[in-house]
Amino acid sequence: MKKDLLALGFVLLIVAVLLSGTKFQTVEEYYLTHIDDITPESETVTVSIECSNILKNWDDLDPSLQSEEFVPSDGVILPPTEYVLRPGDTVFDILERAVRYNKIQMEYQGADQNIYKSVYIQGIHYLYEFSCGPLSGWMYRVNGEFPLYGCSRYELKDGDVIEWVYTCDLGRDVGNDWKEEAGS
Amino acid sequence: MKAFSNFHPLVLFFYFISVLLLTMFTLHPVLLFFSLLGAVLFASMLETPRAVLVSLGFYVPMFLLIAVTNPLFSHNGVTPLFFMNDNPVTLEAILYGAAAAGMVISVMYWCRCYNTVVTSDKFLYLFGKLIPKLSLILSMALRFVPLFKAQVKKISRIQKTMGLYSSESKVDRLRGGFRVFSAIVTWSLENAVDTAASMRARGYGLPGRSNYSIYRFTPRDGAALGILAVLLGGSLWGMKTKVLEFSYYPRVAALSLTPVVLAGYAVVSALMFLPFLIEVKENLVWNYFRSKI
Repeated sequence: MKKDLLALGFVLLIVAVLLSGTKFQTVEEYYLTHIDDITPESETVTVSIECSNILKNWDDLDPSLQSEEFVPSDGVILPPTEYVLRPGDTVFDILERAVRYNKIQMEYQGADQNIYKSVYIQGIHYLYEFSCGPLSGWMYRVNGEFPLYGCSRYELKDGDVIEWVYTCDLGRDVGNDWKEEAGS
Repeated sequence: MKAFSNFHPLVLFFYFISVLLLTMFTLHPVLLFFSLLGAVLFASMLETPRAVLVSLGFYVPMFLLIAVTNPLFSHNGVTPLFFMNDNPVTLEAILYGAAAAGMVISVMYWCRCYNTVVTSDKFLYLFGKLIPKLSLILSMALRFVPLFKAQVKKISRIQKTMGLYSSESKVDRLRGGFRVFSAIVTWSLENAVDTAASMRARGYGLPGRSNYSIYRFTPRDGAALGILAVLLGGSLWGMKTKVLEFSYYPRVAALSLTPVVLAGYAVVSALMFLPFLIEVKENLVWNYFRSKI
């Protein structure tokens, strides 16, 4: 019996450790985020999210997503909006704050889960990678250029313009023609 | 001897392959429900209903485990229930997990039935001449789990008779279980080699070798095979043309009840409940004849 109690205590300990390492929030708590007010001296960046490419490739889109609810008729999920830049903020930090503030669904793969040591955005607003053909997914542009590395490794500076765009052709349809890769 | 297992091995094999295929390649809740129910009902005819109830003690926890695992990894879906480490746990992901769990468990029940109905001599009768080595390996692999379970029971009984593991403590019993397990792994390896050597000694795979059991393909078997082929074709057609399609993400689709879809359900349920209905019919006939004596 003594052994049983010991084993039970051990199992309970593991469960307690697991539970204490997990943060549980209700939906309201999660979306109750604070967004910094823009003051004249604060540094800001602009974020937008759009998926107008899907409208051009409507037939490739997953049938269960083919509705106005998931793909807005103008393709704009988040119009260009200014957010306060906190010191050390990356593209991912700003995106996360923006989607959370606007209650837009987003799913990402954490930086510790892939070989690139950077966050990978799997889906925004229920539109996932591969939702619109095998070459589709989310990419980001900063000041019109594709950095071509993970969004949690790009540190922003004052006045940057970030655009999250949905590609259906590995970036070619949003203006990224892979010059570097073609040359090497 | 059960009525359904009286069919020709070809019919039986075709039946189980088509049911397993249909179950494995769908996540449609209605189809999975039919499949699970059909498998459980058929299993309770083959074994005793009590044995099936006991087996639920294993399958229900497994169902729950698979169902709650999916929302930990999938955060798609329009109905977040709560957030865990900043990731939503959604209703859609839970339902998807439940469907996947239902699929796994119905496949396991069908395999249980397969093991009782298509015994290894039937399997070897079908494929022994065509692909001798592969069919021997397959029949041994398919028989592996039931054999393993039977042997575990045997060894643990012997250990108990010898007075080992008689302590009430759960930990001690678990450790005893590990010991039985390690004994059984060695035994099963040895047994596999023994079986292969024994089969070779009996001239297995040589030309002109006859089978232990002889099965005759009767017109009844032909008719059954035809019906099964039609039912399978209908179901596959329904799945291919998206009549029997269902999507969970981002929002659980509504169940459509158009005539075409209802016809699809009817075809699939006919296929899934066929062995159970045959057993029921034979039982009724048997009781009717017996009451006349």
